[in-house]
Parts: sequence; structure tokens; C-alpha cells
Amino acid sequence: MKTKKLITLALSAAMISAAVVSVSAATLTQDDPDGKTEVIATIKGSVPEGITYEIKIPDVIDFGELTQPTTNTDSYKTVNYSLRLNKLTGDNFNPGTQQISVYVKDQNAKPNGDDVRFYIANKENSDIKFQYDVYDKVVNPEDIGTISNLNAGSMTKTKGFFLCDFYFEGQEMSGTLSINQSQLYGRDILDIAGDYSGYMLFYSTIENS
Amino acid sequence: MDKKAKRNTPVMIVLVLLAAIIIGGITGYVVYLTSGQQKPAAEKSKGVVGRITDGWDDGISDEPDGSSQAKSGTSIPGYSSASMNEGDMSLVLRVGNPPENKVGLIATVRLEDGTVLYESPVLRPGQGLEEIPLNRTLSKGEYNAEVYYQCVLLDDEHTPLNAAISAFRLHVN
Repeated sequence: MKTKKLITLALSAAMISAAVVSVSAATLTQDDPDGKTEVIATIKGSVPEGITYEIKIPDVIDFGELTQPTTNTDSYKTVNYSLRLNKLTGDNFNPGTQQISVYVKDQNAKPNGDDVRFYIANKENSDIKFQYDVYDKVVNPEDIGTISNLNAGSMTKTKGFFLCDFYFEGQEMSGTLSINQSQLYGRDILDIAGDYSGYMLFYSTIENS
Repeated sequence: MDKKAKRNTPVMIVLVLLAAIIIGGITGYVVYLTSGQQKPAAEKSKGVVGRITDGWDDGISDEPDGSSQAKSGTSIPGYSSASMNEGDMSLVLRVGNPPENKVGLIATVRLEDGTVLYESPVLRPGQGLEEIPLNRTLSKGEYNAEVYYQCVLLDDEHTPLNAAISAFRLHVN
């Protein structure tokens, strides 16, 4: 009889132990990195008249894990991106006098608005957001503070900040996005932890020189 | 018999406690693994994404060039111009999503002032239009128009990615 009681007691202890581990595990997974979306895609388009082209844009740019610095000092994290003029057709395109111009802005930015900077916002609470910078060239993290970014100036056009001109098929440009993790310094990690996202809007148009 | 039972009681206790610890450990480990596997499916990356953790590093990437590479891309079609006649309820403009694509596209044809002429459903790879039905007619003239391309994941929520606009000149004869 005593033995039965002991077995019952021990099994109950096992169940409680499992429940505690389960809660711990759930808590731990909140800090697990999420899956990364990696997509490569191509879209072709044409009209029966004029010039047609296709530009490859980055649909996802992932900063990965951001970390909160323990001191209030610059701590840049960067990720590179690239654009490419995949295709250009039309006999009347003259690279001497014409180019395909590309502009970029944050999807929520308004020209001449109060705030035209680029942001990633917390998916659960969009009021929590952090700014990042866009460079039209590849920049090493150690050089970030010394090189001017696209969004340092004012955005005077609806199209966005000028990014690059394309003149010929196969032409590529590469640049860097940079986020200063010092923005996270001093914030309650419980408030800001989570997943963040933002959207870039690329604008292309044929312009005359 | 009672003496024998008394002698065996400590052994039983030890065995039962060992069994309890093993069962608890295995259950906890299975729950931990299961939770970890479900996480990526529940959360999806978007246009520009990041994640905050409470560990600190110096911000210098392990990549040789000091940064990680963007691994994705979508080619967006662009146009110089398109034409139609006054009163036409359609516009010849090829908007589509070729078979090699991995993302969905929602295409919105609109004037520069925001007047929407056509909005597609999510175009899966291989889907597209060559002639677009219009919501309204346009008077004779020259218009600044654009196609707004919203890239989306091909999931149930059509999670948005980055987007692009291709501007063109629309001639209405």
C-alpha cells in the first residue's frame, strides 16, 4: 500500500516537472531566431510600344538578430543589397540621352513630410520602431559614421531618394543598409524584444539626361 | 514478508524517483524541440526585418567583408509608354508573374494622382495579363501613370515584402 502511494507521489512529481519544463521551453522559444525568407524571382513584362525593361530589386533584406549594447556607443549592423537591370528592349532607347532612374523610399514616407527616414517597426507594436540608413554604395561597418547616407538629406520628390541610373542591360549596383544598435541602449528588453519589419519602395522611370 | 517489503522500500523509492526524473526530462525535451520547430512557420520575414535579442556583441559581422548579403530579389517590369483610345475600357499592357517566380505579385495600374485603373488579384508564378480591363475611361490627353507592384509571399496571409513602382507615359488618343 505504501509502495503504491509512493509510486503515485513520484508520478505526480514527474508530471509537475514536465509542466515546468514545458513553460520554460515556451519561454525560451520566444528568443529563438525565426525562419528567414529567401526568395529569388523574376518577372518579365513588355508593352507593344516603346521601351521595356525589368529591374531586379531586393524583396527581402534581413538584418538578422539585433543586439542591445551594454554601453551607449555606436554599434552598426549592416546588410548589403543589390539591384540589376535584367533586361532592356526597345530600339529607341538612347543611353547617351536617356537612363532608367531608380529612387527609393520607406513605404510610409511622404515627400516633404515630417519624417522621411527608413524604419523597421515591431510587428506586435508598431509604435516601437528603429531607424536604419540606406547607402547607394557598399559600406563597411567601420566606415558607416564617416560616409553620408541617402536619407541624410531631404526627400524633395514623391519618387523618393535618388538611388542610381541604369544605362545598359546587365548593369548592377550594390549598396548597404545600416542600423545603429545604440538605439536599443537603455530600453527595457522585455518591451522591445520581438520581430521587426519595414518596407522599401523602389521607383523606376525612364528619364532624359 | 513484511520485513522483505520494508527492505525493498528504499530501493523502490529510488527507482520510482529515477523514473520520474527520466520521464520529466524526456517530456520537457520533446516539448522544447516541438516548440522550436513550430516557431519559423508561425512568423515570417517581411521587407526589411530584424530581431532583437538581449545578448550583446560589437556589431561586427562574421562575414569576411563585414556584412551579410541580401539573398533575394524580384525583377520588376518597366515601361516607357502605353497607348489607348478615348473611351476604351481596356489597356494593352503586359502585367504578369512568370513561372520561375517564387513570390506572388499584386499589380495596381494607376495614374500619378492615385486614380486606380486596375488592381489585380495575387498573381501566382505563371499568371498574368496582356490586356488590362479598366475601372473607368479616360479623356484624350497625356497622363503620368504607373504600375505599383506589391511583392507578397505565397502564404495564406500574402505577407507583404518590398514593393516597386514602374512609371510610364500613358497616351490617350
